[in-house]
Amino acid sequence: MSLLRQQGPAAAVPPSPSVEKVAGTYAAGRKTGRRTAGLSARTRHKAMGLLLVTPFGLLFAAFLVAPLAYAFWLSLRTSTLVGGDHFSWFANYKQTFTDPHFLSGVRRVVVFGLVQIPVMLGLALLGALIIDEVTSRLAKVFRMTLFMPYAVPAVIGALMWGFLYSPTFGPVNSLTDALGLGKVDLLGHSLMLTSLGNIVTWQWTGYNMIVLYAALQGLPREVYEAAKLDGAGQLQTALRIKVPMISSAIVLTLMFTIIGTLQFFTEPRVLEPTASSVITPDYTPNLYAYNLAFQYSEFNYSAAISFSLGAVVFIGSYLFLFATRKRSGLK
Amino acid sequence: MTTAAAPVPAVTTDRAPRVKSSARGRVTVNAVMVAMILYFLMPFWWLVVAATKNNDALFSTAALWFHSPGSFFDNLQQLFTYNGGEYLRWMGNTAIYAGISGVGATAVATFAGYAFAKYRFPGRNLLFSSLLGAIMVPATALAIPTYLLLSKVALTNTMWAVILPSLLNPFGVYLVRVYVQESLPDELLEAARVDGAGEMRVLFNVALPTLKPALVTVLLFSMVGTWNNFFLPLVMLNNDKLFPLTVGLQSWYQGALIQSGANALFTLVIAGSLVAILPLIVAFLLLQRYWRGGLTVGSLK
Amino acid sequence: MSSNRRPKLRSVRRTAVAATSATLAGVLLAACGGGSDSGSGAASKGPVHIKVWAWYPQFKQVVAEFNKTHKDVQVDWVQAGVGQDEYTKLKTALKAGQGAPDVVMLEFQELPTIQLSKGLLDMGKYGANADKDKYVDWAWKQVSDGDHVYAIPVDGGPMAMMYRADLFKKYKLKVPTTWAEFKEEAAKLHKADPKAYMTDFGSDETAAGWRQGLMWQAGSRPYTYAASKLPDIGVKLNDAGAKKVYDYWGDLVKNKLVDTQSYATTDFYNGLSSGKYATYIAAGWGPGYLSSVAKKTAGKWRVAPLPQWTAGGNAQGDWGGSSFAVTTQTKHPKEATQVARELFGTSEAAWKIGIDQAYLFPLSNPILNGSYFRDKKYDFFGGQQINKVFVPAANGIGGFDWSPFQDFAYNTDTSEVGKALQGQTAWSSVNDNVQDQVTSYAAKQGFKVSK
Repeated sequence: MSLLRQQGPAAAVPPSPSVEKVAGTYAAGRKTGRRTAGLSARTRHKAMGLLLVTPFGLLFAAFLVAPLAYAFWLSLRTSTLVGGDHFSWFANYKQTFTDPHFLSGVRRVVVFGLVQIPVMLGLALLGALIIDEVTSRLAKVFRMTLFMPYAVPAVIGALMWGFLYSPTFGPVNSLTDALGLGKVDLLGHSLMLTSLGNIVTWQWTGYNMIVLYAALQGLPREVYEAAKLDGAGQLQTALRIKVPMISSAIVLTLMFTIIGTLQFFTEPRVLEPTASSVITPDYTPNLYAYNLAFQYSEFNYSAAISFSLGAVVFIGSYLFLFATRKRSGLK
Repeated sequence: MTTAAAPVPAVTTDRAPRVKSSARGRVTVNAVMVAMILYFLMPFWWLVVAATKNNDALFSTAALWFHSPGSFFDNLQQLFTYNGGEYLRWMGNTAIYAGISGVGATAVATFAGYAFAKYRFPGRNLLFSSLLGAIMVPATALAIPTYLLLSKVALTNTMWAVILPSLLNPFGVYLVRVYVQESLPDELLEAARVDGAGEMRVLFNVALPTLKPALVTVLLFSMVGTWNNFFLPLVMLNNDKLFPLTVGLQSWYQGALIQSGANALFTLVIAGSLVAILPLIVAFLLLQRYWRGGLTVGSLK
Repeated sequence: MSSNRRPKLRSVRRTAVAATSATLAGVLLAACGGGSDSGSGAASKGPVHIKVWAWYPQFKQVVAEFNKTHKDVQVDWVQAGVGQDEYTKLKTALKAGQGAPDVVMLEFQELPTIQLSKGLLDMGKYGANADKDKYVDWAWKQVSDGDHVYAIPVDGGPMAMMYRADLFKKYKLKVPTTWAEFKEEAAKLHKADPKAYMTDFGSDETAAGWRQGLMWQAGSRPYTYAASKLPDIGVKLNDAGAKKVYDYWGDLVKNKLVDTQSYATTDFYNGLSSGKYATYIAAGWGPGYLSSVAKKTAGKWRVAPLPQWTAGGNAQGDWGGSSFAVTTQTKHPKEATQVARELFGTSEAAWKIGIDQAYLFPLSNPILNGSYFRDKKYDFFGGQQINKVFVPAANGIGGFDWSPFQDFAYNTDTSEVGKALQGQTAWSSVNDNVQDQVTSYAAKQGFKVSK
């Protein structure tokens, strides 16, 4: 979906008990030996911190700050195919927010997100609750199977589904054909968003499930063991106790999913060649920015679109965090 | 955990219906699991089946069942020898990218995460808070400027163009920092210092061993990130000899679709996809305990 | 993406690059070791190395042939990407001012775009004008602007109709010579077998060049453009010829007489081999494509001239075609020009590979009109000498200008065709909508547009 999803788990990590034990005994024996840090120690401390953070700082500056600054500078200039380029302040941004291509793309990903995100996170939550509760062999298979698509490059995933959606030899159409329902054009206008949503759901449900599962595993068992003794069923325990207790993890996955959805790019790009009259160059805002730069050589305007999208994402996620502040602070 | 063999006795009559309902519940849960397994497995199943077919069978037989005679080994043989064995080369490239970036990114993230958690230094808060904003930037926005900047130092179209940007893993830093805060008490480090250990020794001998699950997690996820990365190498590399698998397979597929005539290539793309995802799935399966450990340490039943 | 071409043939194995045995360390060292480019041989007396981007696999042998016959210049071939992927990389490298090859394979319709970004070297300064008479007239006009030569033509795509002789016999169809007959036969066929179609209307971006070729035949000349006359450009995408084509095909689509599968799909390929499509309206490179995609229908196909709008007419169109251009980033303009001119040029050895294995349609006069090409019999077409259809078609193609924003125009056209297919807009308004969008885009890009 986007790079950020590939970057790693978004789950907070609970501490290891064994570590705490070790730390406890180690520290206990030494408590008396504590001393106040001298000036030289503090300087050394500071130097050490700087030293350790330097590689990251350099990379951060080189591959994030510098490109961003450069892109921002680009976005303040206007260039045309004929006539060269000039500094134009925020003209590109003004154009962005009245550009029907950009706005229709934003609308499309919002509509897409409103349906796909609840379905995917709903499935992920359901899966997480199941594997938290059931320890059978089936549950283990279930856990790994759902997670497997995460290991598949998005390019290959979309390519596989491209074959599966085929009207001639795809299994979906064989099925509807056999049932006498006729062909279903999964890559046509009306179903394309659904088909894309299916790919994303397939790819990311397992990952989100594992994150939520990790949060569930971090809950103190006693709370709901007690509830069970009180006669609450598994379903009730799950809905009334477990779900509220991991609400911060849910909010977190929700936020990352929203960010990813707004940046929707890889799947439509991979399906684009096979359905180019449906997936137009402005299909999603990110695809639009990509095509502007790489197909039409409109680097400046493309940079402005990207920044505008970044701003939408930024504001969107902060609003979201603000709105769910209470909920996420529950824990 | 809630097995049937729960302590039974001392029950009243109202217990009976609940047992029934929970049995029904178990059936429902199992049915849900089986249905979801089938759905999530289906594309993999298709891939395995399709990889055993030749071109004719691929486009004329039922998609989800085998066709005899199969040509799995022919497909593999062709996959590994096509165009001078470029697939193997791409695989090697991918391993290099993922290996170096994975180890490098983990090291960088560990040092930085540890520093953020345990040291105070100028710029600490600014850097850390901008780290979270970093993930909001769409990758496409960075692609062009990064390309232009790298080309100024003549690094585009080299392996470094893929490796260097992949070393930056803000999430890894975040994860390590949280992990260090939660599982590495100051007292432990302080005690080692009192014992006369230098800062480096504290880091390598005291902190790192404790952080192992987090490191494995960061390593695995950054390797997967690089292994699966498509956009960055697509933009950075012009030379097919430097392509990773994702870009290489895409170029085969693109060629098959557009230059057409590419009968052979469809089977190659399919067999190539299967071979490309196997290492990752195996890695995830084998290392399951470690990476799940990274996520869930401390709360195992 | 912009055109459906480049047949790929039998698996040609690369022996030179024994990548299999390259150890990981070796690859790593080689790749990480140094900067990027070749050709900096400077003072040393070894041969000059010219880096060439091209994407069809048979090119390997052509390069080997060139390197065998040249001492001072050697070609290093790189497959940077297929079609649009290659153009994307070229544009990015040009923007960066670094990283472009010396010589690059470009389809004709991309030339003005790259030229406008100052990416193409004027080979006229290095003697390329001497080649003028070696190439078909209309092709030379596509690559030059007066004495400025921006590319050397390689192959073209004169259009014709390939058809399944066996199906035509089975359903008693007549080989259509006009588009009106084509429609009648299409109705007859579809009635006889509701699962079969006369052909497939290419609605995707891959087929944008196909649609443009058909309009070309119908007399449409949407652009009046020459780099030397900037910023003037004439844009008329809704002229009578263009409208005639969409009215006609829109009618066939609405009556379900043709299929509407995207060309860049496996389903389309399958349709060609399964008998779902009775004809394939394609270009001079099409036989290679068809014979490898629909291998099992070998011997059943024949080639006939493109149906005409008026009975007895001789209007032709072109779909696709490529050239070799030299980029402005080359450090060896002289040698690069030589490579562009001589890789194929009039070399019979190179063209033998091009014709027999890559199924290229030569635009080089001596080859095109030579008996080897003209009289060649094709088993796939039941021994027919198909070039006796294609060569006259090639000679009937008139002049045609492309725009320097062809990607935008093709994408816009594809989007609007998609809307019409979906019933969101009328077929009759497609051309007008495209015209509106493209002219306003051009105006915004600083062109002085005359409509």
